[in-house]
Amino acid sequence: MANVTRLKERPEATAIEVAGLSHVYSGAEGGVAALEDISMEVVAGRFVVIVGPSGCGKTSLLMMLAGLRHQTEGTILCNGRPIQEPDPGRVGVVFQEASLFPWLSAADNVEFPLVLRGVSKDERRSRSEAMLRLVGLEGFGARYPHELSGGMKQRVSIARGLVQDPPVLLMDEPFAALDEQTRMTMGHELLRIWSATRKTVVFITHSLTEAVYLADEVLVMSARPGRIIDRIQVTLPRPRTYEMMATDTFGRLRDRIWQQIRKTSQPGLEG
Amino acid sequence: MTRLQIVLTRVFLLALVVAAWECLPRFGFANPRLLPPLSDVLTMLAQLLGRPQVHEAIWVTAAEVIVAFLIAVPLGAAIGVLIAENEYVGDIFRPILFYVFSIPKSIFLPMFILMFGIGFGQKVAYAAFSTTFVVIMSAAAAVESVKADHVLVARSYGATRGQIFTRVYVPSMMPVLLETLRISMIFNFTGVMIAEMYASRTGIGHLIANWGENFQMRQLFAGVILLAVVAIAFNETVRYLEGRCSTWRT
Repeated sequence: MANVTRLKERPEATAIEVAGLSHVYSGAEGGVAALEDISMEVVAGRFVVIVGPSGCGKTSLLMMLAGLRHQTEGTILCNGRPIQEPDPGRVGVVFQEASLFPWLSAADNVEFPLVLRGVSKDERRSRSEAMLRLVGLEGFGARYPHELSGGMKQRVSIARGLVQDPPVLLMDEPFAALDEQTRMTMGHELLRIWSATRKTVVFITHSLTEAVYLADEVLVMSARPGRIIDRIQVTLPRPRTYEMMATDTFGRLRDRIWQQIRKTSQPGLEG
Repeated sequence: MTRLQIVLTRVFLLALVVAAWECLPRFGFANPRLLPPLSDVLTMLAQLLGRPQVHEAIWVTAAEVIVAFLIAVPLGAAIGVLIAENEYVGDIFRPILFYVFSIPKSIFLPMFILMFGIGFGQKVAYAAFSTTFVVIMSAAAAVESVKADHVLVARSYGATRGQIFTRVYVPSMMPVLLETLRISMIFNFTGVMIAEMYASRTGIGHLIANWGENFQMRQLFAGVILLAVVAIAFNETVRYLEGRCSTWRT
């Protein structure tokens, strides 16, 4: 693909830099602290996974990285410049299930971001075809979302997130609604797509297995107010294989994340 | 049952009604003065359609229906969107609208006559009034059918407010909006008919009321058939468009 960003030219460039980020929601009973003093750095081309208990504010954090919500305090830099509003040229977002527009075909869904920018029809078509080929959906462009399986829909979402070739891809529990087998396949597919495009990925999940399988680095968040309580480097070699899930290293990493999350969950709610 | 069997059964039932309508009065099982045979009614309908007085009535009714529709739909849609989009406006007016919506609108008809006199203005005002509430309710429902996730997706790709409206709101709402058009036309047509039958000098509703009072059953049934055909034709046309626009709805 001609339009893959060449991140290897600056191997240690920082793609995302978050400093002292806090967020307080104004609720009916005063402010609710949702995020507290989050700082993180994501090196360009890395795959970072954020895990945490439900309601820890991980989705809020992602929305802020995407410029869709404003934090109360702190700064977010993406490629050295602050993020204040959605900037599809720098950041692509893949949402949870059912974010495709049901009235548009798969190809038209992928082309949606390009339509907003007034890209010509011919160029749109060639870009969407390239993206659908990348995600393994060549020939499915004319299908409508209701004619696609859950996994295929999320492939289309990924293609849509990548169509403007942003250096950073944010993913908000993209496979949460899929069944276990499809989810494993999709994780593997995502790694293939990632290694073909070398994007910087920030991926949110509540699946520990998914986190270890996908990540270079796992950030563990605490229960509300969300803080980063652990940063775990996943040293497993790439490309990752399903067999690695049975190794001791995988189990130890998975267990370390689980222990962190367990500690932070409220007593009585532990599994 | 297969699709064909269902269609055949429907045709059979329709044929049964037609045959009964023709035969019962013909062979003395029903009083032909109360229920004239269908063929007589259809002959009368053909005759009526040739009369200038009926032409005039059709045009007057059509004009009232169209003008009332053109007032009620944009007005109701604007109010409905405002209620659904603006939290404060919604909180204030929603209960009031529900109260008024529950009242039978026909009890306001005497007031419309006092305000507008008997004529075009009164029919249009009353029909538009009774239709607007349905449009408000459906338009608010249409706006609420727009998924927040879809708006978020559009925003994340840098959509402007205008683009969010044309590329997310309009296509999301289209199926519900067409349904709104269809249902509001039913209310609108009913409104015009009631107003014409209650007090009027012309219009199809007026003719039907007159024929009924004068015991002219053939004319009365001919009028009923005419109105039924027009109403069903409009309804089915919009329903067809609805089907075309909402193949993606599951």
